[in-house]
Amino acid sequence: MTSIGTGYDLSNSVFSPDGRNFQVEYASKAVEADGTAIGIRCADGVVFAVEKIVSSKLLVPGANKKIQTIDRHVGVAYSGLTPDGRHLVDRGRSESYSWRGTYKVPISVPTLADRLSGYVQAYTCYSSVRPFGVSVIVGGVDDSGPHLYTIEPSGAFWGYMGAATGKGRQAAKSELEKLDLPNISARDAVKAAAKIIYVAHDDSKDKDFELEISWVSTSETGGLHQFVPKELLEEAERLAKADDDDEDDDDEMDED
Amino acid sequence: MDHMPENWGRPRNDVYGEYQSAIHNAGQGPQSRTQTPSITGTSVIAMKFDNGVMLAADNLGSYGSLARFTDQERLIKVGNETVVGISGDASDQQYIELLLERLLIEDNYPQDGHHLRAPHIYEYLSRVMYNRRSKIDPLWNAILVAGKNDDGSPFLGYVDLLGVTYSSPSIATGYGAYLAIPLMRKIVSEEADAKNVSEEQARKVIDECMKVLFYRDARSLDKYTVATVTLDGEVKMDKNVRCQNMNWRFAEGIRGYGTQKQ
Amino acid sequence: MNGISVDMQALKKGEVNLGTSIMAVTFDGGVILGADSRTTTGAFIANRVTDKLTQVHDTIWCCRSGSAADTQAVADMVKYHLQMYSVLYEKPPTKVAASIFQEICYSNKDALSAGIICAGYDDKNGGEVYSIPLGGSLHKQPYAIAGSGSTYIYGYCNTRFKPNMTRDETVDFVKGALTEAIKWDGSSGGVIRMVVLTKNGVERLIFYPDEYQKDY
Repeated sequence: MTSIGTGYDLSNSVFSPDGRNFQVEYASKAVEADGTAIGIRCADGVVFAVEKIVSSKLLVPGANKKIQTIDRHVGVAYSGLTPDGRHLVDRGRSESYSWRGTYKVPISVPTLADRLSGYVQAYTCYSSVRPFGVSVIVGGVDDSGPHLYTIEPSGAFWGYMGAATGKGRQAAKSELEKLDLPNISARDAVKAAAKIIYVAHDDSKDKDFELEISWVSTSETGGLHQFVPKELLEEAERLAKADDDDEDDDDEMDED
Repeated sequence: MDHMPENWGRPRNDVYGEYQSAIHNAGQGPQSRTQTPSITGTSVIAMKFDNGVMLAADNLGSYGSLARFTDQERLIKVGNETVVGISGDASDQQYIELLLERLLIEDNYPQDGHHLRAPHIYEYLSRVMYNRRSKIDPLWNAILVAGKNDDGSPFLGYVDLLGVTYSSPSIATGYGAYLAIPLMRKIVSEEADAKNVSEEQARKVIDECMKVLFYRDARSLDKYTVATVTLDGEVKMDKNVRCQNMNWRFAEGIRGYGTQKQ
Repeated sequence: MNGISVDMQALKKGEVNLGTSIMAVTFDGGVILGADSRTTTGAFIANRVTDKLTQVHDTIWCCRSGSAADTQAVADMVKYHLQMYSVLYEKPPTKVAASIFQEICYSNKDALSAGIICAGYDDKNGGEVYSIPLGGSLHKQPYAIAGSGSTYIYGYCNTRFKPNMTRDETVDFVKGALTEAIKWDGSSGGVIRMVVLTKNGVERLIFYPDEYQKDY
């Protein structure tokens, strides 16, 4: 960010001489400051997991969910400014609502991702608005199978087998690469997702966090986006914690 | 030159007064947005019993007197514990199904374990029906909503194209109001009666009602769906039921129309 | 009121009417649409070689009945929608095409007299037939018949239709049914047109009165 202070970063939609849109880049900084969110595309579905940083002990446990539902078959998880994410989810819901009204079938996941990314992109083009401070992982199952996408603040959207955004994205991505994608089962992906969130979590910076995991799977949820059952979440979290402790021990031994 | 054609060859303003353009712009006659139904479904019947509500509707979509579609499903499962039964226009039925589908999708957004129950869906539908009739553009249907109350007791309500609503332990739309209600009221006349009626008893009466309706309603079919909403569990949908043990044999003994013996 | 008389009443004075016999039938490898070719204004045959089988996408077609003007306008709108859909997303499924027909017919039910059968083939769903009668409801069917002549062949079709027929059996079924409809319905007549939609694309067939007509 050497060009900070040159004046090209003050207005949205203005390029710097070397072809950058600083407001978009700053929006990405907001994403990097928030808890990790990941998505895994598995054999017959998609799994979402987020590390929701608990900023105050006064917050109600389990409230203020960071994974949301757009349509029966589509879920989202995001890192960044929560209100921006909420707004984009609203937009996704109305896109899917009007699609259903016109075509009498559910919107396909690629189409939804395409339309949402177009909406995000429009917010990089006008000086009267700022870009979205979120990276959104959109996923679901439709009649052509499971799909997973990430939409960045620039409006770029990419299809993934495994996606990660937020603070711990680097660690999460290297963990995702170790998985057998896209052949992993939804149930195994849930356990892997919990582990990855624990690996990506930085204990020294954020003490408390809540693990949220949801899935859309043909075999497990009948194609509906739902939070995983309590028992499965607890099991995944227990395994993740045990694994995380082991790795901490290993690290210490390596350092010796 | 006056470029307004309506001013040409007209009595002079200073003698006869201003031209009343309201008359000029008036339409040919009164405007109406009320339509008539084209593909229609006949009666829906329903009654409460000790452990829930049972309802039935046949699978016919009539086009006037023509039996056009014989595979119409008119009992719609809404969520896990509510059934909506729709008689009347098929295109409006499909529109109502779309509204309910959207309502459920919205209901699912919070993922908080709370779900709309029958009284809420009933309230929603009654507002939709009343709003549309107030626009003089009604949805041409009579609807029954069956399910559970907030306190776990059985719920059954009626709403129609006029926005009229009422509740009763046994209700029927269309011809069912004449033919089925008397039969159903034999065992469930008042709210308290429902507690003394088992699911089997209710089913027997429902099947009997559908048979009588097939005998006497010229827009009915002997193929129907029975939905059972139980207080403890899920909704059962018994589809493609056929009228059983019909009584036609007596026809052989009927000769002529009065005095004829042969 | 009888729905069929509503159909006729909805026509404006002197309006061209597709008093028609149309049908579409699914079979093993696709779907066949069939229609007569008569267009009338009152008792006068305005066109004796009409083509009532209208393409709205590569292998999605429709049979039109009711007002010629209304159904042509609706078919043009659907064709435009599907062209946009295929450019933006993918090859449209038959259900999407039928739903667009349905939406237009439903939301303009006061103004239209259009009874449409929408039929199509796609690799995922095979041959499909949707009926969109007067009020603008949508009905998926193994086969559909419509138009004024269809009332005479409900029995014929109900007893003769079998699921998963071969192509040739289906052609014979459609030809036989439309022959009867044309025989009994004064508003139907002329040639029998058919369109066969399969994975191989579109095939048009035509049968002339001297071929299909039987002795009275």
